[in-house]
Amino acid sequence: MGEDSWYSSFWTYLEFTWENLLELALAHSIIVILSVAISTVIGVGLGMATYRAQRPRELVLAVTGTFLTIPSLALFTLLIQVPVLGLGAPSVVVALVLYGLLPIVRNTIVGLREVDPSVVESALGMGMSRWKRLLRIELPLAWPVVLTGVRVSTLLLIGIAAIGAYINGPGLGEEIFGGLGNLGSASALNQVLAGTLGVIVLAVLFDLVFVAIFRFTIPKGIR
Amino acid sequence: MTDTEATDTQDAGTATDGGKIQIRLENLSKRFPGQRDPAVDDLSMDIPEGEIVIFVGPSGCGKTTTMKLINRIIEPTSGRIFLDGEDVTKTNPDLLRRRMGYVIQQIGLFPHVTIANNIATVPKMLGWKPQRISERIDELLEMVGMDPGDYRNRYPKELSGGQRQRVGVARAMSADPDVMLMDEPFGAIDPITRDRLQNEFLRLQEQIKKTIIFVTHDIDEAIKMGDRIAILREQSHIAQFDTPERILVNPADDFVADFIGRGASLKRLSLSRVRDVELHQWPTVPDGASRDEVRRVLDASNKSAVLVLDDQRRPLRWVNADHLHRTDDGRALSEIGLSPEAVVQPNATLSDTLNEMLSARYSTAIVVDSSHAYQGIVDIDTINETVRSLRRAERTRLEGDDLEDRDD
Repeated sequence: MGEDSWYSSFWTYLEFTWENLLELALAHSIIVILSVAISTVIGVGLGMATYRAQRPRELVLAVTGTFLTIPSLALFTLLIQVPVLGLGAPSVVVALVLYGLLPIVRNTIVGLREVDPSVVESALGMGMSRWKRLLRIELPLAWPVVLTGVRVSTLLLIGIAAIGAYINGPGLGEEIFGGLGNLGSASALNQVLAGTLGVIVLAVLFDLVFVAIFRFTIPKGIR
Repeated sequence: MTDTEATDTQDAGTATDGGKIQIRLENLSKRFPGQRDPAVDDLSMDIPEGEIVIFVGPSGCGKTTTMKLINRIIEPTSGRIFLDGEDVTKTNPDLLRRRMGYVIQQIGLFPHVTIANNIATVPKMLGWKPQRISERIDELLEMVGMDPGDYRNRYPKELSGGQRQRVGVARAMSADPDVMLMDEPFGAIDPITRDRLQNEFLRLQEQIKKTIIFVTHDIDEAIKMGDRIAILREQSHIAQFDTPERILVNPADDFVADFIGRGASLKRLSLSRVRDVELHQWPTVPDGASRDEVRRVLDASNKSAVLVLDDQRRPLRWVNADHLHRTDDGRALSEIGLSPEAVVQPNATLSDTLNEMLSARYSTAIVVDSSHAYQGIVDIDTINETVRSLRRAERTRLEGDDLEDRDD
C-alpha cells in the first residue's frame, strides 16, 4: 500500500483542524491589530513631537531602531521576567509595540518634514494656531507616508507575533511551535506548514485591508 | 472754524500727503541669531490707507523679512508695529494675521481640500455662519473671474498656475481684511499670464481699495503696480520712498538711479496711457475706394501711405503709391499693401504701444476703440514728446513742492 503524498495528507489535516486554525488566525489578528494600534498612537505622537528638532528626532529614531535589532526570542524572554507581564499575551503585545515603532515614527517624521513649506507658511500667515496647522494641514498631507509606515509595521508584526507562541502568546505560532515540539510525529510537518501558510495568508489579507484604508482615508486632492 | 477742523484732521493723519496711516513701523529691527549684522535695521515707515506700497530692492536687501515682520511671521527684535493706530507688536499673532491677507509666490493652497474650503479657512476660524461663508466664496470666485459652479469643488492640482494665483488672492481676501501682504505674488507665473493678472489685480484694487504691501525684485513690476515705492538697500534701509513718477524723475541717489537702470525714461511710459495723449489723424480711404481716389488722397497729404478701412471703420491695410503702381491690375485695396500691425486700444500704456511699434517695425501705431474702429494714430514722435513733457511737468511740480516746504 503506497503512502499518500504529503500534500494529500496536508489536505486531510486541514479538513480536521480548520476550525482550530481559524481560531488561531483570529487570535493572531487581534494581537497584531491591538499592537499596531498602540504602536501607531505612540509612534505618530513621538514623530509629531520630535520632527522639528534635530536632537530629539535623532534620539527617537536611534532608540526605536535599537528595539528592532534585539532578537525576538531574547526580548520575549526578557519581558516575561517583568512581574506584571509574565507569560502570555501582555508580554507579546509589549514586544510587538516596541518592534512596530520604528517604521511608524520614521515615516511620520519623514512625512511631516516633506510637507511643502509654502503650504505651512500660508497656513501660518492666515493665523492658524500651531495645533490647527499640525492637525488640519501637516498631518493630513503627511498621512500617505505615515500610513505606509503603519502598513510596514503591520506586516512585520504579523511575522513576529508567530514567535510569541514561544512564551504562550496566542495565534498561529502555537501551531508552528506545536509542530516543532513533535518533530518525527506524523502531523509535525502538517502543523508547521499550516501555521506558516496561515501567517502568509493573514499577511496578504491585511495588505488588502490597507489598500482599502488608503483609498478611504487619503484626501482626494492629494491622491 | 471749518478750515481749522479740516487742518486738524489732516495733521492727525500725519506725514504722507495727509492720508490716513494704516500701518506704522517704528524703529523696527530684526537680528537673526548667529548673524553679525541685523537683517532689518531700524526701519521706520508709514503706510497710507488704500494704497499699494511696493517694497523693491536687490535680493538679500531684507524686503521679504520686512514684510514678514508686519504680520509677525518673523518676530521683530525691537521696534513697534501699529495697525490702524493700535500697537500690535505684542498682541496674539494668530489674531493679528487673521486681519491681514497673505499671498506668497508659491501661493501655498492647501492641496488636500477643495477650492471652496481653501477660501473658507479664515472665515471658519472667525466663526462665520456656513451660509455667509458660502455666499462669500461665490462672491470672491466671481470677483477673480472664476465661475463658482465650476470651481468650488475642485482641488488645487486641477487648476492652472494662473488660476491658483487667483484663488490665492481670493483666499487672502476671504475675511475682507483691510491689509494685504503680497510676496512676489506673480513671480512664478509666465510673463503673458503675469501681465494679465497684474492688470486684473489693478482693476480689482480700484474697487476694493485695500492697503497692500507688495514685495518684488522687479522694478518694472514695482512701477506698474505701485502707488508708492520703497526702494530698499541692504538691511532694509530705505533708499527712497516715493511715488513711481518722482522716483523715476528724481532718484534720490546713485543706488536708486542704478537700481532703476538706464531705461528710466522708457519706464515712465508704463505710467501713461494712449488715452492720455493727443491722437493724430492719418489719411484714410474706405475699402471700396478707386485707385484714383487713393492717389488723390495720397497727393493731398504729406504722408507716404493711406490706411484702408472696412465698412465698420476697422483698419484693413496700409497702402502706398508703390503698392498701387506694382499691382495695377484691378485687385481690391484689401488685397494689396501691408497688414496693419501695431494696433492698440486707448487703455494700452505707451510702453506697450512702443513695444508694438518696435516689433512691427512701424513708426506709427493705430489706435482703435473697443469695437476695433479706427480712432487715430500715435507715432514715435508723440511718445518721445510725452516722455519729455512728463519729465518737465514733474520737475516743475517738484520745484513747486520745494517752495511750499520753504513757506512752511
